Amino acid sequence: MNSIINIVEIKHLKKYYKEVKAVDDISFKIKQGELFAFLGVNGAGKTTTIHIICGILKKDFGEVFIHGFNIDKDLDIIKPLLGIVFQNSVLDAKLSVIDNLRNKAYLYGIDKETVNQRIDYFAKKLDFIDILHRPIDKLSGGQKRRVDVARALMHLPKILILDEPTTGLDPKSRILVWKLINDLRKELKMTVLLTTHYMEEANEANYVVMMDNGKIVCEGTPQELKRQYANDFIYIYKYQNELINLLNNNKINFVFDNKGLKIKFTSSIEIKEFLFKYLSYIEDFEIIKGSMDTVFLNVTGKNLRDE
Amino acid sequence: MKKLLYLVKRNVKIYFKDKMLFFISLITPLILLVLFMTFLREVYEDSIISMLPEGVTLSKSSLNSFTGGWLFSSILAVSCITVSFCTNIYVMDKINHTLPDFYVSPVKKSILLTSYAIGNFITTFIVCFIVFLISLIYLSIVGFYMSILDILGLLLSLIICVASGSLFSSVIGFFISTQSAMSAVSTLVSSMYGFICGAYMPISQFGVGMQYFVSLLPGTYATVLFRHYYMNGVLNHMNKYDNIPNEVIEVIEKNFDGKMMFFKIEVPLFGTFLVVIISVIILFVIYILLANHKVRSKNNK
Repeated sequence: MNSIINIVEIKHLKKYYKEVKAVDDISFKIKQGELFAFLGVNGAGKTTTIHIICGILKKDFGEVFIHGFNIDKDLDIIKPLLGIVFQNSVLDAKLSVIDNLRNKAYLYGIDKETVNQRIDYFAKKLDFIDILHRPIDKLSGGQKRRVDVARALMHLPKILILDEPTTGLDPKSRILVWKLINDLRKELKMTVLLTTHYMEEANEANYVVMMDNGKIVCEGTPQELKRQYANDFIYIYKYQNELINLLNNNKINFVFDNKGLKIKFTSSIEIKEFLFKYLSYIEDFEIIKGSMDTVFLNVTGKNLRDE
Repeated sequence: MKKLLYLVKRNVKIYFKDKMLFFISLITPLILLVLFMTFLREVYEDSIISMLPEGVTLSKSSLNSFTGGWLFSSILAVSCITVSFCTNIYVMDKINHTLPDFYVSPVKKSILLTSYAIGNFITTFIVCFIVFLISLIYLSIVGFYMSILDILGLLLSLIICVASGSLFSSVIGFFISTQSAMSAVSTLVSSMYGFICGAYMPISQFGVGMQYFVSLLPGTYATVLFRHYYMNGVLNHMNKYDNIPNEVIEVIEKNFDGKMMFFKIEVPLFGTFLVVIISVIILFVIYILLANHKVRSKNNK
């Protein structure tokens, strides 16, 4: 048994489809209670990795431990520990919301009374109590997604896997889903493994792994990654004319773009020193912190927003 | 066991909640009904009358009961297959990408696959049983001559033929994973099966080569089983009360597929049953082999 603190531990995982290396020798650990984000363009290997962790796909090489159990030997023990929200909805379109939730819960051997209590709890938290008896095909996209999330949570899994859960969700639904997930993380110490294209979601993660072409290209906390791979900027919109001469004299590089005068910095300390020295010449400015988008672009040469 | 029951209940419920699916599965029986009402009944009535010796007449109720029985035996024979293809929830779950959700749930794949086959059997049986009840009501209005043994024989035939249809559909389901493939197979089955099992027209009216070919198919034996039990009572009545001679009864029975002919040999009722039962056993073995292969397959996708 591996340490329980690392609720997920992946060692040298490989999955090949003939010449295509869908997952190519990746290793990572997820700590209990952590919000762990997988970032990558389509085809990077995120979903393949998730499907191996869930036992949907068999790996070609490597080891996968969930809560200390080896996926090759103890899949039956591992399955009840996992809850997964797939990219596409897995709800039965002709059945009602309540039937969909019950059908899922009964497969985990949960008794009727507990099932009803949990349906009530999730329906209130995710705001679908009024549509419990409505067939799924009569719901909006946002409503369906919220039911999908509730369905994955019915057995209160130790690890919740969210494969792009909020793609296409309206802002209200997105807020509701994240509020519930954060509440459950606090209450149940639930670990969340997330794949997303939304930088705001990745920013909230405790740890981020970026994948490209089946490999991990960088990993760390969002702050570490931004510090390492993304630059901060200052945009100066209004300034005294002497500032330009001073910048030229002190060999500080700057460019003009459609927003204003832009200066690149490698750290917050540099920004602080710059402002301390030149603030009297500046009338209006803005500090732009390096984003996860920039990190991804700098590391892979690809733009996440294009996906 | 509880999980199996929940899954079976879910599969049955999905079919009956989907009105369009329910309607589609009844299209072939409905087409048969329309054909019967528009011209088939008249054709069969004329055909029977032409077989009668001169001066012998048949009561209206005997005639109606015979043609009605023939119609419902056709509908049941076709429905056992067409309905089972429409109620294939396993294929629907594959198409809708719902299966991975079951694979990550704590349910054995063997239980999951069994639930699909049982669910298919139950839904097909319910639909066919409703058709069977309608047939009894219809016959009781136009002329009811069936004995309890005939009804029990029909029920037994129904169970075996539905089992055969469900297993056939389940076996084919292993090879289908797209909507287009499912539509193609359903269309093919719906349009072809009625002909090759002798539901649309009596096998005796086929060419000799075709007669020999269909006598190799278990579906034809299933049709003959239904024909036998629906026609047995009314033929006895014709013989006893309408004074139709034995030889004429035999001709009618033969021309309207009341007996199964394997090439030129008459197959007894027990033999007809046996062929359908053997087909169920063979399909069951194929299903188990394919299911085992699926359970042990490398990937669940």
